[in-house]
Amino acid sequence: MWDIVSELLGKMLSGFGEKLAAFGPNLLAMLLILTAGIIVAGAAHLLARFVLARLGFDRLARQWGVNSVLQFGRREPSRVVAAVIAWLVLGVFLLLAVSALDLAVAVELVSKAFAYLPNVLVAVLILVIGSLVSAFLRRSVLIAAVNAGLPSARSLAAAVHVALMVVFVAMALEHLGVGRQVILISFAILFGGLVLALALAFGLAGRDLARDYLERVVRGRKEGAGDEHRHL
Amino acid sequence: MTDRVPLESEVEAKLAEIGEVDLLVGIPSFNNARSIGHVVRAVSAGFVKYFPEARAVIVNSDGGSKDSTPDVVAAASFEQPGTILVRHPLTPVHKIVTPYHGIPGKGSAFRTIFTIAERLRAKACAVVDSDLRSITPEWIELLLGPVLHEGFDYVAPLYLRHKYDGTITNSIVYPVTRALYGKEVRQPIGGDFGFSGRLASFYLTRQVWDTNVARFGIDIWMTTTAVAEGFKVCQSFLGAKIHDAKDPGADLTAMMVQVVSSVFDLMITYESRWKEVRESDAVPLYGFPHGVGLEPVSVNTERMLRIFRVGVQELGDIWAQALAPEDKGQIETIALLEGERFRFPDDVWARVIYDFAVAYRRRALPVEQLLSSLVPLYLGRTASFVLRTAESDAEEVESIVTELADEFVKQKDYLLQRWS
Repeated sequence: MWDIVSELLGKMLSGFGEKLAAFGPNLLAMLLILTAGIIVAGAAHLLARFVLARLGFDRLARQWGVNSVLQFGRREPSRVVAAVIAWLVLGVFLLLAVSALDLAVAVELVSKAFAYLPNVLVAVLILVIGSLVSAFLRRSVLIAAVNAGLPSARSLAAAVHVALMVVFVAMALEHLGVGRQVILISFAILFGGLVLALALAFGLAGRDLARDYLERVVRGRKEGAGDEHRHL
Repeated sequence: MTDRVPLESEVEAKLAEIGEVDLLVGIPSFNNARSIGHVVRAVSAGFVKYFPEARAVIVNSDGGSKDSTPDVVAAASFEQPGTILVRHPLTPVHKIVTPYHGIPGKGSAFRTIFTIAERLRAKACAVVDSDLRSITPEWIELLLGPVLHEGFDYVAPLYLRHKYDGTITNSIVYPVTRALYGKEVRQPIGGDFGFSGRLASFYLTRQVWDTNVARFGIDIWMTTTAVAEGFKVCQSFLGAKIHDAKDPGADLTAMMVQVVSSVFDLMITYESRWKEVRESDAVPLYGFPHGVGLEPVSVNTERMLRIFRVGVQELGDIWAQALAPEDKGQIETIALLEGERFRFPDDVWARVIYDFAVAYRRRALPVEQLLSSLVPLYLGRTASFVLRTAESDAEEVESIVTELADEFVKQKDYLLQRWS
């Protein structure tokens, strides 16, 4: 009885040993790739911080008004971007490491991930550009609204920012192929609803404001009525 | 040879026909049919009355008017039936009417005028606004005379204006020009100037025609360039400056951005010059100062203060990119002052302008946004000035403007410290 058990265990162990011997190099390769990934990601992080500092990225981010978007806590935008680059590099090495295992599932997963990667990068690019554009326009609208003497300048600027971000997020998701129809319809409903709400608010709740605005447009009566002095 | 603007073939033909002139007066225009006829007649009469022996030309540089402005210029003549001429011109006063090329704006119109002045080898030139109602033939003598007879290269105007007119001049351009370049040119952006043909050619050598100099920035650019480059500068007293009704489309923010960006660009260009200047000198005055009656001007301080306070509430983050923390704190305190007690102190205002100049130089924000955000502060300062001078006469107002200019001189060390 004991002999049978011993024989079975021996076969199992030798089988495991053979499989381990066959799989070991793949595992080792995965660990090596991961180690290399950590080193390269670290180097990419340092390099990115150096290059961004030389380019004056933090100043440019302030100029464009995107420092609030890129800042997490008290971290400078350049540190955040460098960290994102490092994680992206590490992610690529992680996929390579998984593929090194040479398992059918892993290989399929990795090939799908790599095929999808360009979409992700383009979506990220759309979001970055969207953040830049919407932050810049938010500030422009805020200043213009203040200079025009509008009492709700901040709300107006925030509305422009949100509306633009909605457009860019919808574009990014569309690019990723996530619920294309749902996003398109949701966006159309949201945007149409917003315009309708604004039209109703302006036409009903703000009748006086609308009348005043139309008077100014049609009769050329300026907001600065009572100001006859020349600035220059 | 430097870049010159191309001229229309009809203008080229006219230049060939005229040959050379002694005097040239340029009038930039855009939809000024209502007022430009008077200006052309005054200029023509000035030529005949004061320079009857000189060869003279009037150049109208038009920005594509839709109201027949060029036709009015072509038809305008001061020799109306009933006019009695004591003197007659020995040569006819020529007229050139031409559209200008480049960025739409006063500066581009001037560039065409400078080009024609150079081509005609004009000895003395002047430019006058096309919407002037107070221009008289004497202005032509006052603007061209110092160049032709006294050897000056640049003649800045000195007007009597309503105490609330020219607030960008009084609160920014005059004090900055005086503190930085050391010349007491009271109206550096007056709009009507005299200059030598030599200076016109010098202006054409500068590569500024794609900047705000091509728009409202031209006036301060001409004055500062003349002063900083060491040309002989004087002022001429022209009396009252009364324009046609205010252009309803004139946008304060655009004016502010164009004028102030030109001032700050010039600070960067002439950094080595203004850093050495320690005191200011009066410039020679041509003409005879006299009192004149001025039309009343209404100012809406309530609206100005409302915009200033909304600015303090909403633009704090943007101002923080330019202003020193102490000054930003002081501005927040100023915003709390109510009614007649509202005052924007001279020293704070001088530091605000210097802070914005420093922020402009280091591109703390996009230029357009940075300078647009100055508008609420400017309106706060202007409201303070209006409230303070409500009961003041012209003399008192002038001393208040001089006090501010002195404060800019005092704060120059602050600028030097922050600039470096």
